[in-house]
Amino acid sequence: MIPILAWRNVWRSRTRSLVVMGAVAIGIWALLFLLSFSQGMIQSYIKTSIETQTSHIQIHNKDFQRDKEVKFVIDNSAELIKNLAKNDQIKQATMRSLANGMASTAKGARGISIKGINPVEEAKVTQLDTKIIDGKYLSDKGRNPIIIGKVLAEKLKLKVRKNLILTFRDGQGESIKAAFKVVGIYSMGNSKLDQAFVYVRNSDLNRLLSIENQGHEIAILANEINKLDPLLADLQSDNKNDQLAIEPYYVISPQLNLFNQQMSSSTGIITAIIMLALIFGIINTMLMAVLERTKELGMLMAIGMNKFKVFGTILVETIMLSMIGAPIGLLLGWLTVLLTSQTGIDLSTYQQGLDQFGMSGGIVYPSLTPDTYITIVSSVFFTAILAAIYPALKAIRLKPVDALRKV
Amino acid sequence: MNVVIETSNIHKIYNETKVPVHALNGVDLKIEKGEFTAIVGPSGSGKSTLLNIIGGLDRPTEGQVEVGGQDISKLNDNQLIDFRKDNIGFVFQAYNLIPVLTAKENVEFVMLLQKRSKKDRDKRVKELMEAVGLGDRMDNRPAELSGGQQQRVAVARALASKPTFVLADEPTANLDSKSTKDLLDIMVRLNKEENITFVFSTHDQRVMDRARRIITIDDGKIVSDKHID
Ligand SMILES: Nc1ncnc2c1ncn2[C@@H]1O[C@H](COP(=O)(O)OP(=O)(O)OP(=O)(O)O)[C@@H](O)[C@H]1O
Ligand SMILES: [Mg+2]
Repeated sequence: MIPILAWRNVWRSRTRSLVVMGAVAIGIWALLFLLSFSQGMIQSYIKTSIETQTSHIQIHNKDFQRDKEVKFVIDNSAELIKNLAKNDQIKQATMRSLANGMASTAKGARGISIKGINPVEEAKVTQLDTKIIDGKYLSDKGRNPIIIGKVLAEKLKLKVRKNLILTFRDGQGESIKAAFKVVGIYSMGNSKLDQAFVYVRNSDLNRLLSIENQGHEIAILANEINKLDPLLADLQSDNKNDQLAIEPYYVISPQLNLFNQQMSSSTGIITAIIMLALIFGIINTMLMAVLERTKELGMLMAIGMNKFKVFGTILVETIMLSMIGAPIGLLLGWLTVLLTSQTGIDLSTYQQGLDQFGMSGGIVYPSLTPDTYITIVSSVFFTAILAAIYPALKAIRLKPVDALRKV
Repeated sequence: MNVVIETSNIHKIYNETKVPVHALNGVDLKIEKGEFTAIVGPSGSGKSTLLNIIGGLDRPTEGQVEVGGQDISKLNDNQLIDFRKDNIGFVFQAYNLIPVLTAKENVEFVMLLQKRSKKDRDKRVKELMEAVGLGDRMDNRPAELSGGQQQRVAVARALASKPTFVLADEPTANLDSKSTKDLLDIMVRLNKEENITFVFSTHDQRVMDRARRIITIDDGKIVSDKHID
């Protein structure tokens, strides 16, 4: 009887109830879109980060990780690379030599990180070749070619075919100075990266560092990002004397987690705000319902409906009122996510701001996991229960005699 | 004899702290099974107050109320609700049916609260709706019934729980004379044929004419108590 009574009561003030249902539907819709959008941003950030910086897995000499000295190369790197090439879970692996130093021209000097790369392999791992916006990518032609980022080029007033001097230390701690010729300028859509890194051929850098055929870093692109754990375990089992640090992208780049947390706390706050708005709307509606039914509630208690049942009826009515709009909101949200996850949302107008967060491409593809839908529905449900408490208490505090006297 | 209501020295004072209103000033009353009693008196004399106290809707400031031998002044709010559910049938002046339920569902409601079986409920609803002459209006909502019809449904509802007695505070005040007569015919018949105890208040002479006992109160006191045969 309680559900029937509650259900019919929901439809007593049709317009008023429809307003609440609409608010719930729109709230859920907005929330779904917002959550999927921020989820898409995170994924885009992680993707960019993997593509341009971390790859899926990196291998270093543990000593190199501690202090970035040139002499801490990866032992037996030739054999390791050969084994990696045979591993069918790996799409591509490439080795780099690294050095920190200065880039200088007549116009000034900047601190930079030098990456000595195998141009062909590197292109397969980080698609560096696609990031060139002026000039060409590295090739085996020419003497000491270098590609630099857009921002560094601006700072040092460098153009393609201009020279710059790199200064760094070799494995013995000797200072090295060498002239390189800019063959290309890249942009990763991230001003920090575009300033920090310069790329040269590892054959050139290794020669200057006197670490022929060796390297400091192996970057690995796996076939599937979801199967990194078994791959990591596999690689770790070959790491006999534990000389190597084998790390997935989320360890290399802890800011990914941080970003994730920030995103989820801000979406949490937005969810709370929307629920807060809903709760007041629902309380208001139910309070009106209780007040205009004072006499009826008094009568119900007079003829024998106890307070527990009266409370229950108001509670069930509130839940019904709040949940009827939910499927519509879910459907709208689901369709919106479905649609925008195909087309993407173009944010290129905001590209400059997004640069700061390391987002590139300017298109966000919203995405959602099924548990988000469940979370949202349960928060609306919980909100409804909270909203029911005050009106229901008001109802059971009525005294039948007084309530019945009301005209 | 079978006493269903017994009050002793009931006082009711409203607004005790501010401007006290002495609504009842020592009412002693005994009502027996099968009575058809009208409580009459001028406006403000305390009729409604008395009925509310007898019906367990309100508590006396002083004095005792026993219904079916049970002292109801000792019950807490929820116990009183349960007590009313099983012992008292109410008919209100303004009908007070549940607007979203059909006539049948309104009558059935208290029986659902009493957790009676479906078969039991269906049988009694049919019986009662026929007794009040609305066997064909079971599925209409209150808004689709006339005032007189609604009040007949209210009588059926009051009887559904098989109460010890039925209390009605000015049940005919909102009805025209034809509906008043119909309702009284039904009440008198149920009283005679099924020995149901009715206690009601009224201003209406035609209603008083049908009563078999008339208790007159004035200023919160019983001033006369006549049995009519
Ligand atoms: N809740 C209340 N608070 C204060 N005074 C009240 C309250 N209810 C009733 N009274 C007063 O108690 C007295 C008796 O009122 P009651 O309603 O019992 O009279 P009544 O005989 O039913 O009158 P009527 O014929 O107009 O219905 C009146 O003076 C009334 O003003
Ligand atoms: Mg009255």
